[in-house]
Amino acid sequence: MGEAERYDIVIIGAGHNGTTAAAYLAKCGLSVCVLEERPECGGAQENAEPIAGVHISPHAVALYGGAAPGWEQLELWRYGSRMDWAAQRLSGEGFASGTLLGLLCTDGVSYASAKDFDGWLKLSGMLGNPPFIKELLRATFWSPPHPPEVEVNAETIPFMQVYKERMPEVWTEELLEWDMFDLMDEYMETEPFKIYQAYIAWMSGAAGHFEGMAIPALESVVAATLYTTGTVPMGAIHGFYHTLFRCAVAHGAIFRTCCPVDEIIIRHGRAVGVRLRDNATWGNKVIWADKAVLSATDIKQTFNKLIGPQYVDPSVRKRVDDLSLKGGTLYVNAFLTREPLRYRAKFKEAEQTGVCYPMDSREIYYEHVADCMGVQGNPTMPPERYPWLWAGSSRIFTPEYHSQCTRPGMSIESSIVCYVPPPEYHVDGPDAINKDKNKMDAYMRQAFSTVVEGLEEPNLVHHWGLTPQEQEFRNTGMLGGTWYGVRQCRDQWWNERPLPEMARYRVPGIDGLYLCHQSSAHPGGLCLMAIGYNLMHILIEDGIAEPGDWWYASPWYIPEKGKISAVPREGKIPV
Amino acid sequence: MELTKHQVQLLTGGIFDEFPRESDWDAIVIGAGPNGLMTAAYLAKAGVKVAVIERRYEIGGGLVTEEILFPCYYSNAHVIYHLMVDYMPVLKDFNLDNHGMAWVKPNLQTAMVFEDGGSLLLTRMVEDTRDSIMKYSVKDAIAFGKLMRTWRKIVDEIIAPATYIPAMSPMDMAVAMERTAVGREMMELMEKSPLEIITDIFENDRVRALMLYVSCMWGLDPRETGIGFFVPLLLHRGMNKCYCYGGSHKFAGALAREIVAAGGTILDTCEVTKVIMDNGRAAGVETKEGRTLRSKVVISSLDPHTTFLDLVGSENLPGTLKESVEGWSYDKWSFYTLHVASKEPPQYKCQEPWANESFMTIFGIESTDQLLAHWDNVVSGKIGDNFGGHSTCESFFDPHLVHAPWGGHVSFFQMHAPYEIPGGWEKRSPELQEAVLDKWQKAAPNFTRDKIIDTNAETPEDIEIRLPNMRRGSIKHGDYKPTQLGYFRPNTDCSSTKTPIEGLYVCGASTYPGGLVLGGPGYLAANKVAEDLGVKKWWKPTPEMERFTKTYLE
Repeated sequence: MGEAERYDIVIIGAGHNGTTAAAYLAKCGLSVCVLEERPECGGAQENAEPIAGVHISPHAVALYGGAAPGWEQLELWRYGSRMDWAAQRLSGEGFASGTLLGLLCTDGVSYASAKDFDGWLKLSGMLGNPPFIKELLRATFWSPPHPPEVEVNAETIPFMQVYKERMPEVWTEELLEWDMFDLMDEYMETEPFKIYQAYIAWMSGAAGHFEGMAIPALESVVAATLYTTGTVPMGAIHGFYHTLFRCAVAHGAIFRTCCPVDEIIIRHGRAVGVRLRDNATWGNKVIWADKAVLSATDIKQTFNKLIGPQYVDPSVRKRVDDLSLKGGTLYVNAFLTREPLRYRAKFKEAEQTGVCYPMDSREIYYEHVADCMGVQGNPTMPPERYPWLWAGSSRIFTPEYHSQCTRPGMSIESSIVCYVPPPEYHVDGPDAINKDKNKMDAYMRQAFSTVVEGLEEPNLVHHWGLTPQEQEFRNTGMLGGTWYGVRQCRDQWWNERPLPEMARYRVPGIDGLYLCHQSSAHPGGLCLMAIGYNLMHILIEDGIAEPGDWWYASPWYIPEKGKISAVPREGKIPV
Repeated sequence: MELTKHQVQLLTGGIFDEFPRESDWDAIVIGAGPNGLMTAAYLAKAGVKVAVIERRYEIGGGLVTEEILFPCYYSNAHVIYHLMVDYMPVLKDFNLDNHGMAWVKPNLQTAMVFEDGGSLLLTRMVEDTRDSIMKYSVKDAIAFGKLMRTWRKIVDEIIAPATYIPAMSPMDMAVAMERTAVGREMMELMEKSPLEIITDIFENDRVRALMLYVSCMWGLDPRETGIGFFVPLLLHRGMNKCYCYGGSHKFAGALAREIVAAGGTILDTCEVTKVIMDNGRAAGVETKEGRTLRSKVVISSLDPHTTFLDLVGSENLPGTLKESVEGWSYDKWSFYTLHVASKEPPQYKCQEPWANESFMTIFGIESTDQLLAHWDNVVSGKIGDNFGGHSTCESFFDPHLVHAPWGGHVSFFQMHAPYEIPGGWEKRSPELQEAVLDKWQKAAPNFTRDKIIDTNAETPEDIEIRLPNMRRGSIKHGDYKPTQLGYFRPNTDCSSTKTPIEGLYVCGASTYPGGLVLGGPGYLAANKVAEDLGVKKWWKPTPEMERFTKTYLE
């Protein structure tokens, strides 16, 4: 037990990003060891069966990463990757045939207009000839930030390049200034449709009201609603994780669960390995990393716990402390009922398509933002106006072969989620929501009951509420209960994520240490296989990874001066 | 607006490759429980192109460590006591101990606590058990010591190695056992019932109750003859149980990684609906979502009913096989388990301070008669006030199960229970939960309702819902009775793991030597399939198995 282990690469955290990186690096022929604190790998790509026959999704639900290069480069089909396209077919065919999307508003169902759809399809790249939706998504998420010597502007930002080339009439420098509402006011007309998009964007990281985030916010919604339309992998989101994990294992990566890391060992300015905590199932041994240590756990833990204070400049430490966690903390609900939950008569016609409520106006949207992010306490809005999103088990899983409830006579809905303040910012203290959990649960039920019926006893068998602090403790990388890492605002995105000098995944002053977590790396969360792909460019630059013919770089990638280019065609000679 | 075909395709799926609708394999293993995983791991490493197909969203079968006290508390929802860690060839063959797996084997294995504060301890170290028995009966303590001299040999030299050697017919077995004194002693035990064996050896009633509980807790009928050899096995193994540090699922995870690392494939959330038959031969499987996987052999780890009647189809079964499958009987009792997250671990009211560190604690049983009456109740479909059972505070051994901001502990209480109960489980379970918590608090006074954070009661029906091959909540896929054991498990046609249907093999708990994560059926099926496919085995029998073969079979 006591003796040390030695690998080329040691990865801390077997969540989505750590595992994607492991798969890429193992496929390059490197020896890789991934250390996971919890009993099961997967991080936020998790599912649970808390009562026999009842499956819930405590975090991620639907697929956003349909455009990822990883599907091809990692050949996930070989490792059992299978999708349940039920929701996509339903919604995609509806979309294609012009069936309109029902939007849930306080006075009933409202509909989007032809102009809304037209603007939407145009901005998404769907109306290009040929459509450039995949290119636009890849430019937004699957492209590493430019090296520091390259100026970041309307000509160099990858998604701006795509618009300029493929649909010049959309390109304007203002795209970089706008929030998503500004963009939608330009291209769409119906208010509830705009609120819906802004809210889905917020639920996907970059909110509709974040300054300068119009396109990334829009692209998050496109990734979810146009390109995969709420598709779930077979076995739900953890099923997708299994294929990634098995890809890494098949290429030789070693995974160790219940092995929390105590410290990153740094010698002469270089990360050379990690030491496990004394309760690790592998013993508290040292795992040496000959080439690199990847921190695929959250950035605050990385800097405050894993790297000794003597290795980080106090000013950097302060800026890490200051990284904002606001904007992505959800209260998660799952309901086990006897009769399935049904929409009330007023909302019945949107039962298949209406997922968020209430989508009336910017007034309600901002009332919620102010309540949650401004006041930072438990909700004060009347519950019937409190916004929520229902990523319904009943809609997106094919019942014939993919039912989430095999318990006779029962039905599960998982999950219905609402924004709440992150624990660290809560005016009544980090455990305020936990203390009021029963009240919060009742408030949530009241909020959903505005639209759905069946949440009362005896129809309601069980309500699982999951507070932000519980999320953080049960899944330590879920910093502050945030789903998307640190806030996906312009100051913490792309070339500024997490801090400008670390945007290319390297840690200044500590060679061989790379950041690989949604809170510490572009483009953040959503299980996109993007951080692993983007990081590959950097590891190739640093001479650590040498991929085979299967590799291709992002077309918008710019090599850093004096480094090896990640573009195979240009050879492997330093520029 | 009119969208082009390409646009519609972008909107309706098929944007990247998925696992093919049709594929070809050397071997398909149905079910990723411990046995299915073992068979697949051995074969994959031997170069056989293997696919394991699992209905559940997670591999492991009964090796489940999940957050069933959601949120924040993990529990071993099914298997927790690993009985055969000292012998299972798979652990050494795959060097799993070096794979971040650690087995914890506490010295204090079982404490039986009584209402008057008395207790009996069963320990890994014989002398500690004898010390404890001595409080009640010096004679029994002496008898226990002498008993273990031979019983240890019965287990080490015969039963344990034989677990991984193909079943012998009763006649061959009788002849083989004649060769040694230990063998003859075991054959003598075979003829007696557990109750007779224990009553003959021990005089003190509490000692008898403890020994009887530990021997029969996994489903032996205390009054049935012909199963007596299980008594030394289960008692000896009951003194050597291991806990898989980090949870039982780690064992399954390690095996699954071996399969994948050797080039095997695992599909989960994938239910087999049919074994494809081709000219009387098993030739692959079809899945519920419409995929076809063709193969040279199909190995099922499921229960006989599912394998033969549901998947192969009774029309494809030779006469005697159909009859014996239809006559298969499931476990005579199942379990009712109450999982609890609490602020403190239970502290038992007990003069012996050590008792609170016990791996397993039996409470609620005050006498042998009460225990027998409780079991009689269960077999006749009832649970009376006289119930008792065993509990473990899992987090005492494993900090990795608790992920709550405020800490806490995870424990469970488990008792024998009938599959069908008057009033139905949905109604009875909440009542029984209260009765269990009352009884628990009586035994451990600190375990009051205000200390309880969350509970999850798993009834026999829940076992079947979670793991449908445990039909009627049968944790061993079928009763342990003389006609369903050894050479007869699941029947004489199939106990070698090869079935009369060409290309079809069985490797689950319903196959010789049985359930309880012995690792026997999976190992034996791997051997048989490798031999039949003409694949070179990369593994060798353990020295204990070789010694057994030399002593009894050559």
